[in-house]
Amino acid sequence: MGGGLWLIIDSDHSKPIYIQIAEWLETEVLKENHKEHEKIYSQYQLADMFNINPATAAKGLSILAEEGILYKKRGLGMFVSENAKEIILSKRKNQTLKRLVHDLVLEAERLHVEEDELIDMIVKENRNRKGRTS
Amino acid sequence: MSVIECKELSKAYGRKKALHQVSFTIKENTITGLIGRNGAGKTTLLKIIAGFIRETEGEINVFSRHPFNSLFVSANRIYIDDQMNFPNTLTLKDILQSAATFYGNWDQILAERLFDYFSFYPTWRYQQLSKGMKSTFNMIIGLSARCPLTIFDEPTTGMDASVRKDFYRALLKDYLDHPRTIILSSHLLNEIEDLLEDVLLLKDGEKCLYLSIDELKEYGVYLKGSVNCVRDIAGDKEIMYEKSLGNDHLLIGIKNTLTNLEIEQAVLMGVQISPISTDDLCTYLTNKTIGGIDDVFNRS
Repeated sequence: MGGGLWLIIDSDHSKPIYIQIAEWLETEVLKENHKEHEKIYSQYQLADMFNINPATAAKGLSILAEEGILYKKRGLGMFVSENAKEIILSKRKNQTLKRLVHDLVLEAERLHVEEDELIDMIVKENRNRKGRTS
Repeated sequence: MSVIECKELSKAYGRKKALHQVSFTIKENTITGLIGRNGAGKTTLLKIIAGFIRETEGEINVFSRHPFNSLFVSANRIYIDDQMNFPNTLTLKDILQSAATFYGNWDQILAERLFDYFSFYPTWRYQQLSKGMKSTFNMIIGLSARCPLTIFDEPTTGMDASVRKDFYRALLKDYLDHPRTIILSSHLLNEIEDLLEDVLLLKDGEKCLYLSIDELKEYGVYLKGSVNCVRDIAGDKEIMYEKSLGNDHLLIGIKNTLTNLEIEQAVLMGVQISPISTDDLCTYLTNKTIGGIDDVFNRS
């Protein structure tokens, strides 16, 4: 295992490492590097890959198990749930996007940006992006 | 299962108290960081655990036995520090070979591979090694012994940055393959924090904090902004660090007990919130004043 992988770990400590591990695993599942009912990395493999304590890695795995993204087979390890992708996508929509919108609205309020102006900015950004990608 | 149990452990050297009523339990097969300032009692605590010195008061059990003069404890633990003494009549190779006969779990292949990786020569003598090389050699012995209880007291003294990194990596990899109870004392918490499961922080011989590393990382936050706004958000929360920035701005560190509502208020008032790194946190918690060294120069 090369030294490159654990550079992914956020060095500014803004997010706890077990959350970063959970998010990295989610992205692996979304990219279909691990498909439904396939075994996912063990806490020891993750610890080795990211150069972290296995207890921290286990915490990342157990978050995903609690959310139903992974399931446990006794003595065999953790596996990807059947509807893992849907759960992750809806979680990201409901939590991540909602939080970003919340932060956005709060920042707009602080800067005295009116609602119309804010919506206008979003619409413009969206059009810009679509113009670039199409 | 717990490997170490301390109950109100105290140690005095004459009238000076080195440890005062320290209680904690260390679980089997965990890596614990023992953190504290110079003179906080780290080495005293580790030496009592290892069975080198006897406590003055309180209770200590290692593998359910009293460690002082215990053959069982001494056969199952290794204590590595920068005061290691090896006979100068032996070559480095001889030392490794005799260490192999001491420790039941000794891994000679690991020892030799580390020995070659760090470019040691079999015919060298220990006393000729530089400070950093001595520490590196000690580390090879500490890892290869594979003792159920492995104690490293400031193991990286004199090591350069890349050897320290290699050491931490080697420690983690060997721990993953051969789980055991490891205690690592250091004042460079930021270098080892990802390796640790738990952190025990000592201050003036007393237990200051004993938390999992994840809890420690979320323990404190900085508030930064104009003085009035920061004071407003902080309310009557206990302040562990304070620094004024210019005339009207302020940075403070508090325990992370902010509610969502308070966080929202802070954002609206333009107060920035950021986590306190574990290193800074331990410094603040063990500081005598909330301004640190700056208070010495503050005569107003």
